[in-house]
Amino acid sequence: MELTSSLGLIAPEILLSVAGLFLLLVAAWAGDRASSAISIAACVVLGAAFFLVAPSVCAGAAGLETVAFGGQFRADAFAGFAKLMIYAAAGAALVVAPAFFTRYAAMRAEYPVLVLFGTLGMSIMVSATDLLTLYIGLEMQSLAAYVLAAFLRPDQRSAEAGLKYFVLGALASGILLFGASLLYGFTGTTQFELMRVAMAGPISTGTLFGIVFVLAGLAFKISAVPFHMWTPDVYEGAPTPVTQFFATAPKVAAIALTARVALDAFGTHADAWRQVVIFAALASIVVGALGAIGQTNIKRLLAYSSINNVGFILIGLAAATPQGASAMLVYLVIYVAMSVGSFVAVLMLRDEDGAPVERLADLAGLSRTKPALAFCLAAMMFSLAGIPPLFGFWGKFVVFQAAVQADLVALAAIGIAASVIGAFYYIKVVKVMYFDEAVNVVRDRSDWAHWALLIISTALMSPLGYLLTGPLSVLADRAAASLFFLV
Amino acid sequence: MIQAFAFYLFAALVLASGAFTILARNPVHSVLWLILAFFNAAGLMVIVGAEFIAMLLVIVYVGAVAVLFLFVVMMLDIDFAELRSGLVRYFPLGLAIAVVLAAELVLGVGAYRAGALELGTPAAETAPLVGEANIVSIGALLYGRYLFLFESAGIILLVAMIGAIVLTQREARADAGRSQQNISRQVSRRPEEATVNTRPEVGQGVQL
Amino acid sequence: MIEIIVFAPLLAAIVAGLGNRGLGNTVAKVVTTGALFLSCALSWPIFLGFLGGTAEPGVVPVLHWVQSGSLSFDWSLRVDTLTAIMLVVITSVSALVHLYSWGYMDEDPDQPRFFAYLSLFTFAMLMLVTANNLVQMFFGWEGVGLASYLLIGFWFRKPTANAAAIKAFVVNRVGDLGFMLGIFGLFLVFGTVSIPEILVAAPTAAGSSITFLGMRLSTLDILCFLLFIGAMGKSAQLGLHVWLPDAMEGPTPVSALIHAATMVTAGVFMVCRLSPLFELAPVASTIVTIIGAATCLFAATVGTTQWDIKRVIAYSTCSQLGYMFFAAGVGAYGAAMFHLFTHAFFKALLFLGAGSVIHAMHHEQDMRYYGNLRKEIPITFWAMMAGTLAITGVGILDVFGFAGFYSKDAILEAAYASGSEAGRTAFWLGAFAALLTSFYSWRLMFLTFWGRPRWALSEHIQHAVHHGHDDPDEANPPRQENSDMGEPHHVPSPDKGDGTAGYHPHESPWVMLIPLLILSVGAVFAGFVFHHQFIDSAAFWNGSIAYDEHLIHAMHDVPLWVKLTATIVMLVGLFIAWLGYLRDTSIPGKFADQLGPIYRFVYNKWYFDELYRLIFIRPAFWFGRQFWHAVDVGFIDRFGPNGVAELVDKGAYAAKRLQSGYLYSYALIMLLGLVAATSWFMVR
Repeated sequence: MELTSSLGLIAPEILLSVAGLFLLLVAAWAGDRASSAISIAACVVLGAAFFLVAPSVCAGAAGLETVAFGGQFRADAFAGFAKLMIYAAAGAALVVAPAFFTRYAAMRAEYPVLVLFGTLGMSIMVSATDLLTLYIGLEMQSLAAYVLAAFLRPDQRSAEAGLKYFVLGALASGILLFGASLLYGFTGTTQFELMRVAMAGPISTGTLFGIVFVLAGLAFKISAVPFHMWTPDVYEGAPTPVTQFFATAPKVAAIALTARVALDAFGTHADAWRQVVIFAALASIVVGALGAIGQTNIKRLLAYSSINNVGFILIGLAAATPQGASAMLVYLVIYVAMSVGSFVAVLMLRDEDGAPVERLADLAGLSRTKPALAFCLAAMMFSLAGIPPLFGFWGKFVVFQAAVQADLVALAAIGIAASVIGAFYYIKVVKVMYFDEAVNVVRDRSDWAHWALLIISTALMSPLGYLLTGPLSVLADRAAASLFFLV
Repeated sequence: MIQAFAFYLFAALVLASGAFTILARNPVHSVLWLILAFFNAAGLMVIVGAEFIAMLLVIVYVGAVAVLFLFVVMMLDIDFAELRSGLVRYFPLGLAIAVVLAAELVLGVGAYRAGALELGTPAAETAPLVGEANIVSIGALLYGRYLFLFESAGIILLVAMIGAIVLTQREARADAGRSQQNISRQVSRRPEEATVNTRPEVGQGVQL
Repeated sequence: MIEIIVFAPLLAAIVAGLGNRGLGNTVAKVVTTGALFLSCALSWPIFLGFLGGTAEPGVVPVLHWVQSGSLSFDWSLRVDTLTAIMLVVITSVSALVHLYSWGYMDEDPDQPRFFAYLSLFTFAMLMLVTANNLVQMFFGWEGVGLASYLLIGFWFRKPTANAAAIKAFVVNRVGDLGFMLGIFGLFLVFGTVSIPEILVAAPTAAGSSITFLGMRLSTLDILCFLLFIGAMGKSAQLGLHVWLPDAMEGPTPVSALIHAATMVTAGVFMVCRLSPLFELAPVASTIVTIIGAATCLFAATVGTTQWDIKRVIAYSTCSQLGYMFFAAGVGAYGAAMFHLFTHAFFKALLFLGAGSVIHAMHHEQDMRYYGNLRKEIPITFWAMMAGTLAITGVGILDVFGFAGFYSKDAILEAAYASGSEAGRTAFWLGAFAALLTSFYSWRLMFLTFWGRPRWALSEHIQHAVHHGHDDPDEANPPRQENSDMGEPHHVPSPDKGDGTAGYHPHESPWVMLIPLLILSVGAVFAGFVFHHQFIDSAAFWNGSIAYDEHLIHAMHDVPLWVKLTATIVMLVGLFIAWLGYLRDTSIPGKFADQLGPIYRFVYNKWYFDELYRLIFIRPAFWFGRQFWHAVDVGFIDRFGPNGVAELVDKGAYAAKRLQSGYLYSYALIMLLGLVAATSWFMVR
């Protein structure tokens, strides 16, 4: 009885794992020739999982009926909202991959399988309500990610990125595990609900250490300062479709997981961790913005941009209110769309030999050689900078609003001031595209899928996006409410 | 009494061998120290009554993992002196961090021991399983209460395996861009094709 | 109907302005001129209705504008006698100027823009005169200021035109500040900006006092004074007059329309519109009288010495506006409006005539290079003659007189009859100014149309002779250096040949002459036909201005010598001009040498520009430069944008250095972060 309902609740995860196993068999049998077909099949599976999850998000599922396996797993609206973003982002990463890897003759059938298993890990992460589930999900996602980062083995940078990511990720996992063991020791449980109950009252030093270590381990995954150092190197070294994947889906999963851990398990001691989160938020905004300024590689620049954006999302977390959680989700939706659009645009840049273009200087004069592409990329950049008519502004707005409502006025003010620094390098990209002399001809032989993704994300970021604010806010509010729903 | 003595012995040896694992100059020695650490940890497990885990430690970690490490270390031609040069440079700073961490942990544990903190009550109702054989209890938990996590862990291992294969199998495949050895061509090569005599003018250089 | 009158010019301006060159010259000209003639045709019936006593005043609401607390007002169009007079003046002169510009601006490449500006100006002016509340009046007030700025600087490639446009705008802003303070004050005191409501409530505020700038002052006096400062700016009264002569940099039709007939009279109109208020403010009225009379005399003296034909007329305008103000100041608002009415016709006529002369003389504006033009351009000559007879006030008592005869006499009589000290002073100053008016007007006529041709020395004429008269390159006439800066030259003696240099001035085309002829009719008959209603008929005004029956009776009872004064001084002035510029042309030079300092003082316009440059402009520039160098560059930029940018730059460099690429340094930073976080909790 209990098992049946639990299995019903993890239906999307079951679908993903069964499909992953099946496609793995297909890959083993058919070899790399079937990689395109497997990619398409994986996309279909992700789409099916998307529609499995969607009803619970629309209904705002919350409470006891969402709890599976005796409290280890919860399929509430918050998890569902994050899963929708993760599935969509993973699908986008699958769509753009073949065109990229084909050039290196490196498109392999295992790529979609790894993406599927990584997605499964993220799916488990966002639903985790137990430290064990948390770690299982995290490791499943991480292992897939390490391999994906090094997927282009012949490329030195890709191998280096994979190794760096692996070693630092192992370190972060160690920190996280140590924190988890402290928490288990001092609270006697691994379940978030029971942990919160056990933590009621004055907080012990051991618990506090556990909280700090666990949050530090998670901060690595969301690449918040000072655990961000791997991000630029890995983003630059990893193959661009993988970088796009890293910048979107795992970010969503890690942030959703962090929010659940912080607000659910540690919810009674928000005052204890708030200062650390505030510091990480401001440091991420500033370091992300400053670091991006000196960059000449677009992928590195976008890596710093993602650090910068994580800072803004953490402002929503620092509020520690349902509004704050809702603002985080809204910001994440916008961030994912902006990141997908930016990376797709980067993927579409090819020089005359068809090799990918990654240097900022190569964008010079793009507005004349590829006006449509330049326009879309410019829209992304303005949106990332949070310039009002574009939708990116809305995300920053709701986050700051949540901070102000939580009496964190100073944080909001500093965040707004620091976002000005960020505007500098976003607009620099636009300047290079529109005002610099063209140095080389950028050609693209992009298929319709790239264009479709780019146009969808551009349309979302355009002022048309504001049409979505109503439904988006409703769904995000429901999801945030489910997070705060006490069993 | 004897338990206490054994515990302190094993615990001291675990710590000592763990430290020597890091400090040993020779990597083969490091692995050996590691094996010692595993053994002692297994001893600790026996003392607390987890005999199955003790067996796992000996069989899996000592028998498989550590021996694999040993092989890998011996097969890889690593310049260990170069690796360690960084360690020396960063040692003081690393030591400082370690000291701070250790001091804080001691402080935390000390506070715990002082009784100012209350240890939470374990949530898992493990009572019915007491008295069963160790392996039975573990099996019941893994396939009952922790079924979901156990299966997920299986998938993690699968992912790790796929990853290892994907990353290493590539070497075996004939990559299009990589130059390959053509033995017949190598063997059939003659000196006349490979060498040439020239008499360059002074100050003119040689055109190759 | 009134809506069409007001909004037709706006529509035309929008069409011509937005269509611009895409529309073509002809379409733009037809649209704007057609709209103006339509407005003009609709305005006259309204005026005649009030003249015949059949029309009733009324207010036509257009839109609700502002509702904010107790502040509430509409866009609405008010029509009464005062408005009706202004309507015919504005639409008639504007329509004729539009038509005239067809000829005058024929060679200009930017004609649609020009006509759009002209129509825009007309709309703003109509808004001003139909305003039923002070805010709408201020809208029109600023609108005409804007149009004036645009038109003065129409030839924007000419630095002097740009400078003149800016000067006009800035000086007007000074006046506008007074006007705004006046509006604020009225709202503060009466709680409304509606003109009728203010005028009804005004007697209740009489005798009350208010603290302003630390002084205890009569409420209405200070309010009226502030409003009058606004009027001074717009109507170029002494102190704020400096922009008007420079405004002659604009095309001549603009000078005729804006800087003679309509916009500059807005101040007079405003004082008359609020005349019941001014009636209750004796101190302010006295100030109005004195400033008006002083301006009247000052401008007339300067006008006697200028050589540029347009500048003479510009100072003449300034002087005539002084007459209107002191008439208003002594309470003869009817006389002020009457002079405004007649002046609009004859001054527009004089300007357009001057424009015709300039056109004929190939953009030469210096009268020293004219002479003997009456035979060359006879129609222009006769039109100018009509205008001169009107402005100098030629006429025989109780028989017939030209336009200025009736209005100027009425003003002088009213000033005398008012009995006050200020009124008497104004009478004598006005009488002397009338002498000077006569002198400079005839001087202009004699220099231009009589004597021997002196064209040969003009660079413009020489240029024309060498390059052919209708050189298309002359579209944007390069203006000569104004002669107002240097020492006066001697009148060049026509000793080389016949002085014509072989140049034959030609009469202007008919589109320019027709407006001259129509305005001539106005200059000749406007006074004779309308003087009874304007001066003597309280029924005609129908309460739209304060009408003082006693003053009118007193005016009729003034001694005969007072009534004859204007005529006598006119004849004296004519005689002097004849003596100096026809009979013996050496007299002016000797006179100037004899009275050197005084001559230079007058010639240089009483050194107003130099004074202002010394006490306002240079300190303002000095302050500006100080703030620029010390505050903006030295402080705000240094510690603001530049300082922050430098900080960001350094931060970016530091962030880059930190990102070394080495695994162990990354791990180290992670651990450092962890240690920092735990330490923070330990010490907290």
